[in-house]
Amino acid sequence: MPQLRDSGNHSTTPLGGRTLNEVRSFARIFGVETEYGVSVTGADRACDASQTAMMMFQPIVAKARSTNTYIENGSRLYLDVGSHPEYATAEACDPMDALALDVAGEQVMHDLALGAQRRLRATHGAGSTIHVFKNNVDSAGHSFGCHENYLVRRFVPLQTIEHELLPFLITRQLFTGAGRMGESGFQITQRADFLDEAVSSATTRSRPMVNTRDEPHADPDAFRRLHVIIGDSNRSQWATMMKLATTHLVLCVIEQAGREDRESGFGRFAFADASAANHAVSRDLSGVNASFDMADGTVLHGGAVAVQERYLEAVERFVEKHPQVVASLPRTDVREVIRQWRDVVQAFRSGTSAMFADRIDWMCKRRLFEALRRRGADGISRDKLEQLDMDYHDVANGTLYVSLCRRGAMRQLVDEERAREARSMPPADTRAALRGRFIQLAESRDARYSCDWTRLSLTAPERMEMTLIDPFDASPSDQFRAMLEAME
Amino acid sequence: MPQEFKQQQSVEQDRNEDEAAVRTGAQIDGTVDALDAVLDDIESVLESNAEEYVGSFVQKGGE
Repeated sequence: MPQLRDSGNHSTTPLGGRTLNEVRSFARIFGVETEYGVSVTGADRACDASQTAMMMFQPIVAKARSTNTYIENGSRLYLDVGSHPEYATAEACDPMDALALDVAGEQVMHDLALGAQRRLRATHGAGSTIHVFKNNVDSAGHSFGCHENYLVRRFVPLQTIEHELLPFLITRQLFTGAGRMGESGFQITQRADFLDEAVSSATTRSRPMVNTRDEPHADPDAFRRLHVIIGDSNRSQWATMMKLATTHLVLCVIEQAGREDRESGFGRFAFADASAANHAVSRDLSGVNASFDMADGTVLHGGAVAVQERYLEAVERFVEKHPQVVASLPRTDVREVIRQWRDVVQAFRSGTSAMFADRIDWMCKRRLFEALRRRGADGISRDKLEQLDMDYHDVANGTLYVSLCRRGAMRQLVDEERAREARSMPPADTRAALRGRFIQLAESRDARYSCDWTRLSLTAPERMEMTLIDPFDASPSDQFRAMLEAME
Repeated sequence: MPQEFKQQQSVEQDRNEDEAAVRTGAQIDGTVDALDAVLDDIESVLESNAEEYVGSFVQKGGE
């Protein structure tokens, strides 16, 4: 595997012109990997998670002879450890494209679930209902994830990212947290109670916040792939968009400091105990009341808001000084992202955060729970609140999120049509465009093929293979054309 | 695509198709009516057996 390497920070060989330009730019590749949870209610006899997940994947296995496949839009669809249906978005160089692909993934899961449900009803009773949860915790306390991937320049040491990005990731949850009604009451995040070590190379056993497995799926001399573990699965499209876009901007600041061989200034925001800070943020619904012990021995008051304000100010100054950052995202207005970031932070500062309840998952849930109490349902059980919480995340048969959107109580950025389009169309300006075309043609010609992030492989009618090492490169090479011709 | 994050040059051409989405987005802000309507929509969830629903979701860990 050419892209598996140690975690060194410097190129071992001179970079080619195209790669060098990419490294010098502020361009980014974004990806979102979502693990879904599954359950069945209303069945005549038990059907556990592994049976349910296998049933969902029956059509995939029938076609691909595997539970691990790539689909027409270039995204990966597979069955992960622990019977989690998982979907990883194709490479996107704009957060809005990543969002559209992520929403398309919800539709894919929805359809797989309803297909499985029809078959299940034949054997397990007509009331059988499959639930597919885009959340992060089951009722027994098992936790699973939504991971973000960012292509970052290799010259930034991972240790630097750990110190300089982690306080941002922990405190951004104020507007990206999905919220959870758990045993100890309502919290901003789904996962704060399950994430311990700050940074680690393993994911399943210990639960780190940033993963350092160095598999860039790109030129390893130029890039690494930052794998962010600390993040909830969002239903809010605004939250998905904002978490990708704001993290990108903070990374731009860190990378530019690396280019200029100086400190980004974010080092002073490091928490003494990242896990303790994470717990504190998750439990401070005001956003301004928590205090943090900082790594430099001081105490920072003012909650997640105080930390976010510092990052935001630094990003605002940075963008003024480096206007080319504004053009770093092909379709998204960076200034608008910054404006909305400022709006949400200021809303918490001024006590008017309720206006974001139609964009922030945890606030939307909490407002609904309050409405339920207002209606006089004093005796409402915790089980009922937990059920509503789960129903909000159910992309198969959930009713709450759909209703909230229809009634205008939750905003959507991607409409049905755009999501449907993203289901079959990869982004046009990344490597995913090539993978998608390859898969579409192979499917229509009944060719035998396989692929992964950096490789396309044809086994029939001919044996051919090629490597796609540059995720920014969407142009078909001669080799790529020859592979398509072999299938025609 | 919604207008709110979109770059200026591409805003104009999409104005019409975006209008509906923008209207929906700006429609309410914590209005009790909308939430009441939501609570009516989810009546079947409110009436179903919460304990069975919650208890049936047992998954092994992931990642």
